[in-house]
Amino acid sequence: MRRFTEEELLYYDGRSGRPAYMAFAGKVYDVTGSFLWRGGRHQALHTAGADLTEAIKAAPHGPELLAKFPVVGVLQGKEKPCEK
Amino acid sequence: MAKVAREMVERAGVNVDQLLELLVKNAAAELNTYYYYTILRANLIGLDGETIKEIAEVARIEDRNHFEALVPRIYELGGKLPEDMVEFHNLSACRPAKLPANPRDIRAMLTVLVEAERCAVRGYTQICNMTAGKDHRTYDLALSILHEEVEHESWFSEFLGEGPSGHFMRRGETSPFVGKFLK
Ligand code: HEM
Ligand SMILES: [Fe+2]
Ligand SMILES: [Fe+2]
Repeated sequence: MRRFTEEELLYYDGRSGRPAYMAFAGKVYDVTGSFLWRGGRHQALHTAGADLTEAIKAAPHGPELLAKFPVVGVLQGKEKPCEK
Repeated sequence: MAKVAREMVERAGVNVDQLLELLVKNAAAELNTYYYYTILRANLIGLDGETIKEIAEVARIEDRNHFEALVPRIYELGGKLPEDMVEFHNLSACRPAKLPANPRDIRAMLTVLVEAERCAVRGYTQICNMTAGKDHRTYDLALSILHEEVEHESWFSEFLGEGPSGHFMRRGETSPFVGKFLK
């Protein structure tokens, strides 16, 4: 599984045809295919290419909505011990 | 634009540009569901379909009312609607509803519908959270819409067998909560 640094993740911001990846709880998800992440932006408030673990606390939904998206890697330094 | 109205909201600490984007996105979601309900009117047929048709018609009119009620607030705050319908569609806050492959599958049709209502409940909850105690007028509007979205969700979730809504059908006029913004 690919290990992303926060800097590497920045590239995958979903803009100009780049894929839209974002990290949650140590995992990196590919949300490129989501209508709700078009252009790497989500609900006017969030952008792809970042670790959104904290941001979800203020969202009107939980992380269960991430389950259907492919995990493409882990975020370095944030992965769970068993994934190191 | 209502200059002072916007200034009051800004001074209360709301990011008005973000709020406007959300209002436009949710207005787009309303028109999308209004369109879906319109298609349903032609597809909710037969013994199962007819049972739901009338209540779907109420939700259709109310979602259109939500669109109508959001538009003036968008312009008051200095926002605007996109120049064309395609762009408007593409920025919807909720995945646009689509008729299932088998349009006689009432359950599938209802599932799409309840998902749209659930997305709306989340969207207006967010707008209420952002405006509570700060932007009183948008809050009142978003809360009024939220009341109706929660009712829509509960009606269709009951039809899906998730449990009783505890509601009767609307008596009298549609939009008992949003109506005051439409007069
Ligand atoms: C205040 C911030 C946020 C708002 C207002 C928001 C709002 C929404 C709404 C309304 C939906 C549609 C849900 C439905 O269909 O019922 C949604 C879906 C989703 N959200 Fe958020 N969200 C926020 C933050 C986040 C964060 C931080 C993440 C990631 C960690 C996230 C990930 C997702 C995903 C993956 C979906 C599903 C997309 C799909 O099915 O295509 N959201 N969000
Ligand atoms: Fe609505
Ligand atoms: Fe609705």
